Amino acid sequence: MSMPSFALVRPRAVDEALEHLARHGAEAMLVAGGTDVVPNLRAGLFSPRVVVDLKGLGDLSGITFDRERGLEIGALATLTAVAESQLVRQHYPVLAQAAGTVASPVLRNMGTLGGNLCLETRCRWYNQSYFWRQSCGFCLKKDGTVCHVAPGGKRCWAVWSGDTAGALLALDAEIEIAGPAGRRRLSLTDFYKNDGVDRIHLGRGEILTRILVPATMAGYRGTYHKLRIRNSIDYPLAGVALVVKVEDGVCRDARLGLVAVNPAPVLVREVESLLVGQRFTPELTEAVVQAVVRTGKPLTTSMSTPEYRREMLRVFSRRALRELWRENGSH
Amino acid sequence: MAQFSVVGQRLPMVDAREKVTGAGVYTDDLVLPGMLVGRILHSPHPHARIHSIDATKAAALPGIVAVITGKDFPNRYGILPIGHDETALAVEKARYVGDNVAAVAAVSDQAAVQALDLIEVDYELLPAFFDPNETMKAESNWIHDDKPHNIEKEYHHHFGNVEEGFAQADAIREDHFFCPGVTHVAMEPHSTLAHVEDNGRLIVWSSTQVPYYLQRTLSNVLGLPMDRVRVIKPLVGGGFGGKSEVIPLEVIAACLARAAGRPVKITYTRDEVFYAHRGRPVQVIDLKMGVRRDGKITAVEARIVQDGGAYCGYGPVTLLYSGALLGAMYDIRNMKFDGYRVLTNRPACGAMRGHGTVNTRFAFESQLDMLAHAVGIDPVEIREVNLLKPPCITVNQLRVTSYGYPECLRQVKAKSGWKEKKGKLPFGKGVGVAGSHYVSGAANAIVRSGTPHTTIDIKANPDGTVTIFTGASEIGQGSDTMQVQLVAEELCLHPRRVKLVAADTDRTPVDLGSYSSRVTFMAGNACLQAARNLKSTIFSVVARRWNVSPDQLEMRDERVVLCDDSGWSMSFEEAAKCAIDHLGEVVATGSYSPPQEAQGGKFRGAGVGPSPAYSYSAQVAEVTVDTETGQVTVDRITVAHDCGRALNLMAVEGQVQGSVWMGLGQAVQEEMIWSQGLLMNPSMLEYKSASTLESPEIDTIIVESVDPEGPLGAKEAGEGSLAAIIPAVANAIYDAVGVRLTSTPFTPEKILKALREQQKKVAQRNGGSER
Amino acid sequence: MNKESIQLHVNGVRHEIEIPPSKTLLEALREDLRLTGTKCGCDDSSCGCCTVLVDGVPMLSCVMLAASYPDASITTIEGVAQGEQLDPLQEGFCVEGGAQCGFCTPGIILTAKALLDRNPKPTREEIAQAISGNLCRCTGYTQIYASIEYAIKKLRTTPVAAASGGR
Ligand SMILES: Cc1cc2nc3c(=O)[nH]c(=O)nc-3n(C[C@H](O)[C@H](O)[C@H](O)COP(=O)(O)OP(=O)(O)OC[C@H]3O[C@@H](n4cnc5c(N)ncnc54)[C@H](O)[C@@H]3O)c2cc1C
Ligand code: FES
Ligand code: FES
Repeated sequence: MSMPSFALVRPRAVDEALEHLARHGAEAMLVAGGTDVVPNLRAGLFSPRVVVDLKGLGDLSGITFDRERGLEIGALATLTAVAESQLVRQHYPVLAQAAGTVASPVLRNMGTLGGNLCLETRCRWYNQSYFWRQSCGFCLKKDGTVCHVAPGGKRCWAVWSGDTAGALLALDAEIEIAGPAGRRRLSLTDFYKNDGVDRIHLGRGEILTRILVPATMAGYRGTYHKLRIRNSIDYPLAGVALVVKVEDGVCRDARLGLVAVNPAPVLVREVESLLVGQRFTPELTEAVVQAVVRTGKPLTTSMSTPEYRREMLRVFSRRALRELWRENGSH
Repeated sequence: MAQFSVVGQRLPMVDAREKVTGAGVYTDDLVLPGMLVGRILHSPHPHARIHSIDATKAAALPGIVAVITGKDFPNRYGILPIGHDETALAVEKARYVGDNVAAVAAVSDQAAVQALDLIEVDYELLPAFFDPNETMKAESNWIHDDKPHNIEKEYHHHFGNVEEGFAQADAIREDHFFCPGVTHVAMEPHSTLAHVEDNGRLIVWSSTQVPYYLQRTLSNVLGLPMDRVRVIKPLVGGGFGGKSEVIPLEVIAACLARAAGRPVKITYTRDEVFYAHRGRPVQVIDLKMGVRRDGKITAVEARIVQDGGAYCGYGPVTLLYSGALLGAMYDIRNMKFDGYRVLTNRPACGAMRGHGTVNTRFAFESQLDMLAHAVGIDPVEIREVNLLKPPCITVNQLRVTSYGYPECLRQVKAKSGWKEKKGKLPFGKGVGVAGSHYVSGAANAIVRSGTPHTTIDIKANPDGTVTIFTGASEIGQGSDTMQVQLVAEELCLHPRRVKLVAADTDRTPVDLGSYSSRVTFMAGNACLQAARNLKSTIFSVVARRWNVSPDQLEMRDERVVLCDDSGWSMSFEEAAKCAIDHLGEVVATGSYSPPQEAQGGKFRGAGVGPSPAYSYSAQVAEVTVDTETGQVTVDRITVAHDCGRALNLMAVEGQVQGSVWMGLGQAVQEEMIWSQGLLMNPSMLEYKSASTLESPEIDTIIVESVDPEGPLGAKEAGEGSLAAIIPAVANAIYDAVGVRLTSTPFTPEKILKALREQQKKVAQRNGGSER
Repeated sequence: MNKESIQLHVNGVRHEIEIPPSKTLLEALREDLRLTGTKCGCDDSSCGCCTVLVDGVPMLSCVMLAASYPDASITTIEGVAQGEQLDPLQEGFCVEGGAQCGFCTPGIILTAKALLDRNPKPTREEIAQAISGNLCRCTGYTQIYASIEYAIKKLRTTPVAAASGGR
């Protein structure tokens, strides 16, 4: 099925890309790996006049690590590169793990980390063909007025379905954004809006250029648990990323990120205060679990029910804590 | 197997090379000069009267060559003579979301899509029906006016006396089972290319399992005599039943080609494939079974309501298979079946691998497991207690000639480590056993007539090769290779010398198609007969030349040999040339019709179920259940399949593994999910066909019962193993964690819920103390 | 429809074609270059039938805009054999039954080829991981493993086969 027509530009440098964005404004759309954009274009979810292809920005695909400055990943680095990078695996294993669960190997060869952080939100009423959406009278997120997930409300609950954001939130990552006014840095936590339609704080003329993870987080133990039906290809239906630093059985630091349950990836802030300075106990685990399910609010946006996804948040948080604490305790 | 030279080996498929190099041609790979793209407008409403269709704007769009609506081709068709209720494009009503309303032929896909948007349809929305039980209560707005209360067909069969049977039982169970729809998802989306030649003849290339039925249907819809329609089947990228009846795009492409006067190709998008469906229906099964203390089944009673969607399709046949094969793999004397095939406003169901037998087999084998536990008999043993003693005729008059099921059970029991594992694995791990069976072709053709079910011609060529002309449809199951092997075997030729022209209605004789696992049995027998006839023609010429009697001649190692001590022999090439010189052309024909004795009873609905032979399968599944997530992992599957004789061991194993794997998909993760009339998962992303990572190793054992009537003893191999895996997994889950799932698929969520309920019950019983 | 002239470098041959920039690589290969060995199973990046190698890396041509890859070296199934000589993987899929209907076969052979180029001795587990984005509806995968393992063995026993094919 052919796509709506558009023009394609292939800038060679960030500035050139920014110029295209400035020139075409709302009519332009960025594409990196295209694994999210192209299916969405085909489904008629977007109809840009100009597609700005970022793949030519070769200097944005590097992965470097420095003991002072931490990890720096170009937005165009593929998920395969991130998952297989020795640097990432050694210093920030949770990120390599999360990147390695995205979609399937072939898709990870194409999909980029930047694209993964800027992913469109997803919903069973939205990610459908034009014909299908027409059959249900469209939805709030696109072409319609009603949210079929929460028909009474005025909000879109399409869910954040990217895997790496949870891990990067847990790792306290920052991102660098290039725009008409130069480059700015932003904590990843401030990037997301928790709105199914308008998902990220990225201006029309801006490009995500780099992902930065602080050196202080290097060496944290981490784990990512992902719910899906197929162990390959599938998007997450719920995801829990946890990183901890444990010394002599005492938690020195802990951060937990959730994906695929809310319109944004979220950091469960209470986890830090609950755990730091504490030793592992079942009661503490349950307190964390409670905090997680207070934050993660799945709705009927996917083929799995909210009840089950919430239950898996519990199981995953428990397992993640057990796994990391035990591993650390043995050191 | 020293008696054969070609048969029994692991021979590569004859079309393998073109498949691995990309040279092989599937329908969508074809291009004709001037070819147009066809696209179909689908109904966005589940049930709507069509008052008018205005296509003037669409037709005026540049690049649009033809626009057609149902009025242009109103002749009705359907795969069953009793179910001609479809038109290529809706004539007065649209009956499901995705129903076909209008179509365009355009110079480009973009133009076609644009044109569809400009077609104005005036719909009047009608109340729609989605629930199989509710739909039967409808008093008005029936989906088809001539089907009151939306009941397409109902059947009531009673053999023996179930009341008496239940009276003799020591344990009786009544359970309710539910199976949502599943669909084929053949990797190749349906595709059809149609072209009307200058002389008015229609040529259609299509991804079909049934070229001959397609030819008939096109002739009927277009009002052309059969000989004015030629159907050619290129390579087909999987069928599984989804291409075993005429699919709307096939008729629409032909109608468009005629209207446009240019070739038109339509290839379904993946979501159109989901709307076309014709897959396994939703079935609601109420099953009752009684057993004596020794495990002997005394009676079985089933009520099956089949939600068949909006058109008849194969529906009644599906339902009849569910009833006919319900108890037919065991010795059961009292059996009752009430079946309802009802209409709903969803895509029509149809034949899918294991046609009709799968859901009932799940119910039956699950319930048998429950009863085994109830009377304290090992689940393998309870199956052994109830075996048939062939040759025999079952209570519903199915003739069983060969029966490898006991051997299948014995082998899977031994190979899976059943004795060491059943009931003995730690909590969370378990094993389950189940059996299944399937027909080797239907003994009665869809359209009853005296015509053989298959006819094969074999022609000898002067270069010492032979060419098989066969109507049989290779769809990836290996039927071309099977025929080459049988002919090579019979003629003692290297398979290299056997060429094949297949599935082209102009060039090949009639074969009914690739469905109900009929090709090996029927085309195979016809091939053997044709090869024997060819041999005798050639022998008679050679015999005359040598002045000996033809029955002194034999083929040995590519030579015609005189069976005495003369040492006379002649290469096949020389013999063929000799015969051709003498006769002008050397062609022999073979055909196959199932014997009268295999054709079953005379009661209403008795036509479905009878087969010249049945395949059997026994399976043991070993699972791990994660009691926190509810996730079931199938660690290992041991399957034994009785295929009569394995003509090609590699192909048989591939078919058996493919069947088990597909059944496993239905068992654990595949399902069509609906919100009223909307299919929520019409994509390969959301319809969960298993990746490598959910696909366990399948330990495959082939059992050869050597059927007396099968070609060299062969029976079917491509479907019979699908059903058993579903109950085997259900039974294994029970063994692992003590919960019983009665609806497919066994999702983590369902398992978790069942575990919670069980814990609650245990807690109540123990006053709160539990693990 | 605005068409542009774009370059594609496929199986060692440079092509220049006029296509709209919205055309996918899959469409360009099949329709413009008439390389129909690359199959379209879903057109939605979920099945793997359309896999091609881009500079040796397996990617899904149904989500690639053809115009985005003018500098890449693309390999399709038609470029795997050396003339008449099948690649050991192709041979494996013939001999071990990995191709039933054959529709998933080109994509899986190419994905496996990229795997073996990087890791000549993968375990079955590694093979399963590597091809987990390529769905097959016919085989249940067992004979696909056997087909790939045939090639692994062949490449190991006849080291030259890697360069020259070999039968
Ligand atoms: C079948 C399938 C399964 C999938 N499964 C998963 C999964 O399990 N987990 C998961 O996380 N994802 C999944 N995805 C989505 C996708 O493949 C990945 O998220 C991938 O990382 C997206 O990256 P990309 O480069 O392809 O993004 P693109 O498609 O190129 O872009 C995605 C979005 O980000 C924007 N964007 C891209 N780069 C930048 C940039 N540098 N600056 C600003 N904006 C930018 C684009 O405009 C677009 O809105 C799946 C996709 C498919 C088709
Ligand atoms: S056609 Fe590209 S992944 Fe299915
Ligand atoms: S061989 Fe048919 S899909 Fe794989």
